[in-house]
Amino acid sequence: MIYQLLVPAAVPGVEEIRVLEWHGEPGTAFAPGDLIVELETHKAVVEARAGQAGILRDIKAAPGDWCQIGTPLALFSDSADEAMPDGAVVSRDLVIEFDVI
Amino acid sequence: MLDSAVVATKKMFFREAIAKAVREEMALNDRIMVMGQDVGSFGGSYREFDGLFGEFGAERVRDMPVAENASIGIGAGAAAAGYRPLVTITYMDFLMLGFDPLINYAAKLRYKTAGGLTAPLVVKTTAGAQGQGVAHSQCIEAWLMSVPGLTVVAPSTPADAYGLMKTALRADGPVVYIDHKRLFPAPGEVPVLESLVPFGLAAVRRAGTDVTITAHSFMVRMALEAAETLESEGISCEVIDLRSLAPLDMPAIAQSVARTGALVTLEEGQLTSGVGAEVAARLFETTGHRRWARVGALPAPVSSNPVLEAACVPDARRVAEAVHKLLAR
Repeated sequence: MIYQLLVPAAVPGVEEIRVLEWHGEPGTAFAPGDLIVELETHKAVVEARAGQAGILRDIKAAPGDWCQIGTPLALFSDSADEAMPDGAVVSRDLVIEFDVI
Repeated sequence: MLDSAVVATKKMFFREAIAKAVREEMALNDRIMVMGQDVGSFGGSYREFDGLFGEFGAERVRDMPVAENASIGIGAGAAAAGYRPLVTITYMDFLMLGFDPLINYAAKLRYKTAGGLTAPLVVKTTAGAQGQGVAHSQCIEAWLMSVPGLTVVAPSTPADAYGLMKTALRADGPVVYIDHKRLFPAPGEVPVLESLVPFGLAAVRRAGTDVTITAHSFMVRMALEAAETLESEGISCEVIDLRSLAPLDMPAIAQSVARTGALVTLEEGQLTSGVGAEVAARLFETTGHRRWARVGALPAPVSSNPVLEAACVPDARRVAEAVHKLLAR
């Protein structure tokens, strides 16, 4: 199964965030609770953590890029050799937890 | 007529635009210092001074106690002695505590000394309602507009925050620079190379033919939202961002109303003796009466109850209603 990581609506009033730092690269396996990516808002850093196991396959926004809430940041899969979708829309969202610090 | 960016820009947070302006000006002029609550290692209440403490040190980026009157008083004195202090007051409501040094001393210093002394003081503060109740939500900029010797500016975009702050840090007299809490979450494009926004110059944010809407700070967004809705109903709104409240860009407003024939003034603060009343009075002094409606807060404190807060301060729907009623007259 392929999952997409979406920008969470973590801070009220924020429509757009900036990617601060990825904590993995394509191929990295994440267990529940692992920090995936840090996102910046006007006043806080949002830490997005894996809420399920998965393998990071494709990063869609580099550090410094701006992303609207709800847009895809990365694709994950259950296993490393799963075929990636060919431009098709991924219907499953990756379960994440986030902390605002 | 629409202001268009012809320079290279970079997208940044509102607070980063302020920091860019202050950093550039501090590097150019070692008489500039920042003073206020949490401006030091914390980087400012809104992190708008992030990094400056490390770059310029504790002598030029000074944490102050919760003592607004003393902070502005020390700033006014330092300004008279040749420094260029930027004093921050986290909530505009508490600017009231510093009115004596700001209004009785800083704003009058040049006059009192027959031009011998100036007070190049910038007081930066933040206005507006965002769930914080009666004494952390007010917009009292109209009070300040009536003080001779005081400049009052209120940007609505990160680019203007940058450009107006730079101009403020070079100005001769005291300047009150006003941000709005609800503007902080949204980033915007800011010129990469140094550029200034002069005082007294409004910006046309949207060109239109049926009605002119004037606003400043966060209310510019409400005006633009209302204009968008009204366009789908066949009503064309021109939205003017005042940017500078003292001085006001009356020629820009007059030119616009000469074309549209109708004026809606919009502000988040109180209507009585408000920004809109001043804009309209000054306009009609030269043009005679024109169709006019004003939109502002209800005559009530801003509650910390979100329902009552929303009922008190204007939104796009109320602006659109006011336009409808005005044009039906």
